[in-house]
Order: sequence, then C-alpha cells, then structure tokens
Amino acid sequence: MEKDFEFSARQRPSSVELPSLLACVQSNIANFDITPSPRGETPHSNGSEITGVQNLTNVGSAPSRNSPIQAIKPHHAHTISISLPSSPSGLYVGQNSEIAMSGKAVDNVSNEHSNYHKNPHIVNLQQPKKAMFHSQPMPVGDRKVLNPLEAQPRNPRSSRLRDNRYDSFKTWSGKLERQISNLRGKPQEEEEIIDSQKPEPAPVPGVDRFFDALEGPELETLRASEQLVLPEDKKWPFLLRFPISSFGMCLGVSSQAMLYKTLATSPSTSFLHMSPKVNLVLWSISISLMAAVSFIYFLKVIFYFEAVRREYYHPIRVNFFFAPWIACLFLAIGVPPLVSENLHGSLWYVLMAPILCLELKIYGQWMSGGQRRLSKVANPSNHLSVVGNFVGALLGASMGLQEGPILFFAVGLAHYTVLFVTLYQRLPTNETLPKELHPVFFLFVAAPSVACMAWAKITGEFGYGSRIAYFIALFLYVSLAVRVNFFRGFRFSLAWWAYTFPMTGAAIATIRYSSEVKNVFTESLSVVLSCISTLTVIALLVSTVVHAFVLRDLFPNDISIAITEKRLKSSKKHVRVRAASSDAQDLEACVSGDSEGH
Amino acid sequence: MPSLRPFFPLHQIKLHSQQKYMEDNNKPHQIHLQILSAAAADAAHADAAHAGSIPDKTAAKKAVSRLDVLTRFHAGYFRISLALCGQALLWKTLSEPTTDARALRPVVRAVPSFAFALLWSLSFLTLATLCVLYAFRCALRFRCVRAELAHHVGMNYLFAPWISWLLLLQSAPRSFPRPSDGCYHFLWLAFSLPIIALDVKIYGQWFTQGKKFLSMVANPASQITVIANLVGARAAAQMGWRETAVCMFAVGMAHYLVLFVTLYQRFLGSNSLPAMLRPVFFLFFAAPSMASLAWDAISSTFDTSCKMFFFLSLFLFASVVSRPALFKRSMRRFSVAWWAYSFPLTALALAATEYAQEVKGEVANALMLVLSILSVVVTLALMVFTAIRTNDLLPQDDPFACFPTVRRQP
Repeated sequence: MEKDFEFSARQRPSSVELPSLLACVQSNIANFDITPSPRGETPHSNGSEITGVQNLTNVGSAPSRNSPIQAIKPHHAHTISISLPSSPSGLYVGQNSEIAMSGKAVDNVSNEHSNYHKNPHIVNLQQPKKAMFHSQPMPVGDRKVLNPLEAQPRNPRSSRLRDNRYDSFKTWSGKLERQISNLRGKPQEEEEIIDSQKPEPAPVPGVDRFFDALEGPELETLRASEQLVLPEDKKWPFLLRFPISSFGMCLGVSSQAMLYKTLATSPSTSFLHMSPKVNLVLWSISISLMAAVSFIYFLKVIFYFEAVRREYYHPIRVNFFFAPWIACLFLAIGVPPLVSENLHGSLWYVLMAPILCLELKIYGQWMSGGQRRLSKVANPSNHLSVVGNFVGALLGASMGLQEGPILFFAVGLAHYTVLFVTLYQRLPTNETLPKELHPVFFLFVAAPSVACMAWAKITGEFGYGSRIAYFIALFLYVSLAVRVNFFRGFRFSLAWWAYTFPMTGAAIATIRYSSEVKNVFTESLSVVLSCISTLTVIALLVSTVVHAFVLRDLFPNDISIAITEKRLKSSKKHVRVRAASSDAQDLEACVSGDSEGH
Repeated sequence: MPSLRPFFPLHQIKLHSQQKYMEDNNKPHQIHLQILSAAAADAAHADAAHAGSIPDKTAAKKAVSRLDVLTRFHAGYFRISLALCGQALLWKTLSEPTTDARALRPVVRAVPSFAFALLWSLSFLTLATLCVLYAFRCALRFRCVRAELAHHVGMNYLFAPWISWLLLLQSAPRSFPRPSDGCYHFLWLAFSLPIIALDVKIYGQWFTQGKKFLSMVANPASQITVIANLVGARAAAQMGWRETAVCMFAVGMAHYLVLFVTLYQRFLGSNSLPAMLRPVFFLFFAAPSMASLAWDAISSTFDTSCKMFFFLSLFLFASVVSRPALFKRSMRRFSVAWWAYSFPLTALALAATEYAQEVKGEVANALMLVLSILSVVVTLALMVFTAIRTNDLLPQDDPFACFPTVRRQP
C-alpha cells in the first residue's frame, strides 16, 4: 500500500516538490526495499529527488529529527560494508546499526550522487570532535556498494579509482577491510568486480630508489623528476599520512618529564625548589600522548601494513622504529615517585626485548646486508638505533639489574663507535648527510650524554669514563649551538620533536655532573641548559599547534613512502648508466639475492 | 610496391627489442650479468695470454688437475689446526680443578683423561703435518707463497700457524713445561716473534701502501691478525710478562677498533669476500671473545671490561647466527672453509667459561654448558665430514688456489 503511494507520488512530476518530510520518509522507507529498478527511471523524477534531497541538505539547520538521519543514512547505506574505525561514519555504523544493517540496499543513483557531495559536510557537523579525521575521504565507502548494474555517474567512478590506488598500501591490499566488513555482517557482491581491478601491492623499492627519488636531510622531499604511486593532489587517508616519526613527540615530551624529575630530586638543583608536581603533570601528559600515538600507529599497522613496510625500508624512517621503545624507557625512568617508587624488573626485560630484536636485524644489515651497508646509509638518525642501548642500560642500572645493563652498554658502545667514526668521516659514498646543518645533527649529543649517565649508574660513581663521555657530549653540544644560524630555512616536520631529547639529555647529564663537581659554574650551566631545552620544547609545541590548527598541514601527504619502485621516465637510460658505472659489489648484491640479510 | 627501407638496420632493431624485453621483465641485472661474464671471460683470457703458458680455458683446467698438493695447499688449511688446538684448550680449561663448573663437572669427569691426551696429540700431529707441508711449499713454491701474501684474504692466514702453536702451548698437558719455565718462555718467543713481524708488515701496509689500504683490503678474515695479538697477549700474561702482554693487547685492540669500524662500514660491499668463504663471518665474535680472555688474564679478574667484550661477542654471535641466508651458498659443498666455524665457537665457549666462573649463576652456567656443547659438536661434525669427504678438501677450484703463473687480483 505504501509502496503504491510512493510510486504514484513519483510519477506525478507536476507535484514534484514533495514536502521534504515526505521525500525523507520515502527514501527512508525506500531504503528497506531491495528494489533498485523502479526508482530512478525517469530523470525527471530523479531530478525531483535530487532537488528534494538538496533542499533537505541545504536546509541544514532544519532540525527535523529525520533529516540528519536521512542525510546520514544513505551515506551509511554506502558505507555499510566498510567500517574503518578511523572513519567517522564507521563509528556511526555501530550506533545506527538497526538502520544501516538493512541488506545491501542501494539507493538510487541520484541519491548517491548528491549525498556523496553533501555527506562529508553533514557528517562533520555531527562529529566536531573528530576533526583530525575529517579528511578521510568518504568514497572509501561509496565504492563498495555501487551496484554494477546501475549507470555509473562520473564522480563515484573517480572515487572508486582513487580508492583502488590506496589499496596497494592497505593490509593485504584491502582484503582485511573486506574481512572486517564481512565480520560486521554484510556480504559483498561487488567483490569480483573490484578484485579484478585490484592492483597488486607494489613491491617495496630498494634502498637505492629511496636515495634516487628523495632528497633532503630526512629524505622526505621528492625530486622533481620523480612521480608517486599515489595521487599527489589529493589528501590521502589520515592513517597513510601518519608517519612513524610522530613518535618523536613522545620522545620530546617524556624526556621533559625526566628532566623535571631530575630537577626536583637532584641535590644540586635543590636551590630551584622545583615542585614534583611539574614532573607528575608532564608525565601524565606524556603517557597519554604515548597511548594516543601508539593507538593510531597500531591502527595503521593493522590497516595499512604495506605503508608500514615501506616506512621500515626507508633509510631514515627505520631508525624511528626504535622511538616508541625509547619513549617507554624514558617514561619508566621519569616515573614520578607518587606513581611508583620501584618498578618491577620484568618491565625492563619487556621493554628491551623489542629493542634487542630490532638491533639484531638492523646492525646485522650494517654488517652483512648487500644494499644497506653503513657506508651507504649512514645518517645522523642512526643515532636513534644506538641510543636505545644506553637508555636501556640506564634504566636497568637504576632498577638494580647488573648484567643486562652491561650487555646493552657494551653493544651500544661498540656500534656507537662505528657510527660515530662513519659520520665524522662523511664518506663520499654517503649521500644522506645534508650539506647544511639540520636539527637532526643534535642527535649527535644524545648518545654520549646518556652513556655518561648510564655508566655512572652502572659503576655507582661518576668516574673517569662518565666524565669523558660527558665532556664529549658537551663539546658536541657547544659546537652545534654556536652554529645555530645554520639551522634556519628548513621546513618544520614532526620528526623535529625527536631532536629535542638530546638537549634534554645533555641538561640531565649536566645536573648529574654538577652534583659531583659542585660550583657555581656547573650549577648555572645546568640551569641554562634546562632552560634552553624547555624553551625549545615550548617553541616546538607552538609550531606544532600552529601547523595543526591554523595551517592544517601537520600531517602532509607522506610522499617518502609512495615513491615508485623504478624510475618511470627515462628508465632505460638510467639502467644503462647504472650498468656502466656500477661497482661490482652492486652486481653481486643483485645477483646473490639469497645472501641479503633482509 | 616500393620496398620500404627500414629506419634502423635490422640488427639494431633486434638489440633494441631484446633490451626492451629484458627491461619489461624487470630484470635489468641480466644485462649486467652478460657484461660481467663477458668481462670475466676477457679477463681470464688476458691473464692466460699474459702468462703465456696456458693458451685457453680447457687447458687451464687440465693444468690445475696436474698441479700437485703443494700448489693447491694454502695457509687456509691451518683453520683445521686452529680448530683442533682451540678444542684442546677448551677441554683443558673445562677439566681444570679451578673451573667451578657444577653443571659440567660430572660430564667432564666422565670423559677419561686419555681422551684429552688423544685430542692434544691429534692437534699436535695435525699442526706438525701442516707446518711441514707449508714449509715444503715455501721452499719449492715460493712464488705461490708470495702471491698468497699479496692476497687480501690469504695474507691473514699466515698468522694461523703461530696462533695454533700458542694455543697448543697453553693447552699442554701437565707433563709439559709450566708457564714459569724458561723452556716455556723460549717457546713463547719462538711463536710470538713471527706474529710481531707479520704485524709490522701487514698493519703497516694498511695505512701506508698504495694498493693495500685498509679500506681496500679489509674483510672479515683480517680479524685473525687481531686474534693473533690477543692470543699472544694472553699467553704472555699467563707467563707473568705483564708489560709485554699489555703491549700486544694494545696493538691488537687499536687495530681491532679500526678494523671493526671499517668492516661495519663495508666500504667495498660484499665483494671483498667470496661467497664460499662466508664462514669466516664467525670471526666477528671470535675477536671480542679473545679480547675478553686476554684482558681477563692481564687483569687477573673478569672485570667489567671483560664482561663487556664477552657480551659484545654474544651479541655478534646472535646476530650472525640469526642470518642463515648468509651462509647458504657456502654450505652447498664441503670445503676447508667450513672449518672456520669451529674456532670462534670454541673461543666464545672459553669466554663463557671464564664468565661463569666469575658470575656464579644458573644463567651463566647454562650459557657455558650450551656454548661448550655447541663447540664440541661442531668440531666433531667437522671431523666426520672431513673423514667422509676427504676429496673435497683439496678441490679443483679452491678460491685461493695459486697458479704458478697467474696472479689473482684482490
């Protein structure tokens, strides 16, 4: 009966201006039908529906209870099968499940057409808090339920193309998403079509490709002659834009928590009367930040595993895989006394196990890997791979462990020596060292300062070994600080947060030193260094906030992971040039693929 | 119909299409391979032509098979003696009454003492035989020896006989002269002076001579030079000659530092070592183990520095062992390079023994037990393999075979 009413209403184009509520109800109830064909037959009626719906959406303020539901629901009808948790619509699916889970209902094409345009805005109105996710393109959902039998309007098709291109970065090329959406209850009929269009995951580029295609001190700027695998002009999904160097923020903030704990508890700075509450506040902030960043990155690992793999193969970003664990170690070292006095020893083993595994892999590559030998890939970010050893030794020694800290100290010292010599040499085969200074150079200060504190804790006194390490750290700090003019002119990136913890480390080492050698100079030096590090962190915080909310480019498209596996233009010429000038070992590395240590 | 003259000559079209075919298959390195094999063939021809006595490749092969044992023998065979003497030292250390090896004591006591004497005698005989052979080679094939000295891998194995003698001296049974005897001192001098002489030659070459810069010649086998110094230092310390011990230790460690950095940098890439010689990668953890033992002997206690060396060698052991793909190609056929697995494991087991004596705990004892058993098993397996496949010990295409007329470039 009601259906008859609907159809008759549609076939009377003269009375096309259906009351918005009626149109609403109509499409509402229509959604429960799995009858695509009767609708959308005449363009005229389609047009009426479009205008009807548009009236609805334009009158965004018309707060009839149905309109938001109506506006969202067709959208949910599209996104029924996809439920990326990071998508705001996905969060809604759970709430409106009784409406959304209504079969593979497909609206008429016009509804999709209009809703595709309108829905992002509507949805944003509904969820102002999720501002961070607002750039998640809605088409991800559209693609799934486009009925192949219907005529395809232009826009959904282009949205479908875009989605396929992100597929190569998704876990198992998007199969995981489909699995999850299957688990949520909706079978897919369009899978066969989409499988036929699905691109294979692009093979990960070799190290040489990263050096050829990218430039810059963090290897993040694309060279002019290169192209990307993903579209350059669109904003990619948020998870794809979330780099691992975001853990640098955790490093920066948790090292500040450590600093303020030291300031509060160290006898040489007792004249400052620093309250322990500052440490508590900073520690709470850093632990929540760590939880947030870890969660987001965990989602990226689940949904965009290919992108994570490419980050692992990036010569600079691989070092940031140590950053989460180092940040956890900082959190454990800087834990406020109010929270816990003594941490359990097993925590140390839990935190150091991933560092040990990563190290075995990465140092082994330095030693025996064909393409990733140190003389080629050495760059200041490699300090992040080495400093973890010293931080672990420091934590272990403060917990009272004995053999473990010595083990990590020994390994860290040996590999730090290698890295230090290599970086100082600035070998001609090394392409990653920037000619001008960049904040990444501050990482040079990190290892000696932390090693100094670790050795002092291991031996129980601030002996000659610690002093030597401390003076080396101080010298490097001063030689970089007087060149502060050369640090200008670089584009801000989130990774800069990671470069603040060396300054904090140097400040903490100075505080420790000043408690051994008590005089005005050392005490004032400790205060000065602490102020510098705090000011730097505040400045970075301001820049981050500005970039996040004002300029909105805190997470730009992460082009470093989207380079092509081979150079697309003039590839033949490139290959020939390679053949002419390549060293024999590159050939052997290519040929003896089984000997590579990956 | 007018005949259309092709734009390109036909053979050029073919070449172009062939290249395109190869690139389309994403295998540009096939082109590289062809160039390389062509170059290699040319080089072989050039060498043969230069030699003048071997006109073509098939004749070269026949010449090799006619070459006798002396020519195919080279200093790399001292790996066998190194392994056996290392085992003897390990057995001696484990069976010493000062070794508080609670876990091992029943096992060690179970093995009759004549087994140790047998092992020592076997090592002695092997070493003596090899030395005699090498002496003949020096006398009769001096050009080969010179070529070997010039080779970047071969030159390091000239230290191996002296290391073996020193190890044998240290593991001598009770009936032999004690470390405080003059006879012992004399023997130590006899074995260490060649080491010092070779040091001066080879370390000097590293930074002075044109073609033999360290960045050019560094390869994992170069760590044998460092091990030689450290073994000498340990023996000297046990004799009571502390200053000499510290001197050799300092020389060894200074060059170890340089070598470690250079090897990690891998300036030349994996080309410095042929795939068949990958087992020498085990030397990466032999050197810090010996350093730990040497410093233990010098400072009389297993202090923090010794522990740090031991832990470093443990880490490198884990790192090397967790990369089995590195050794796949060398494991396809038995060769004398396989004997390179044994000595580093023995050195690590020795260091673990000293560590367990210092740090008396279950983990340390377990580590000592595991590493000792591993080293014994590996050495026994190698002995079995050698007995079964004696022919493979002197194969035709041993990488360091020295043709009397052809010099192999590093």
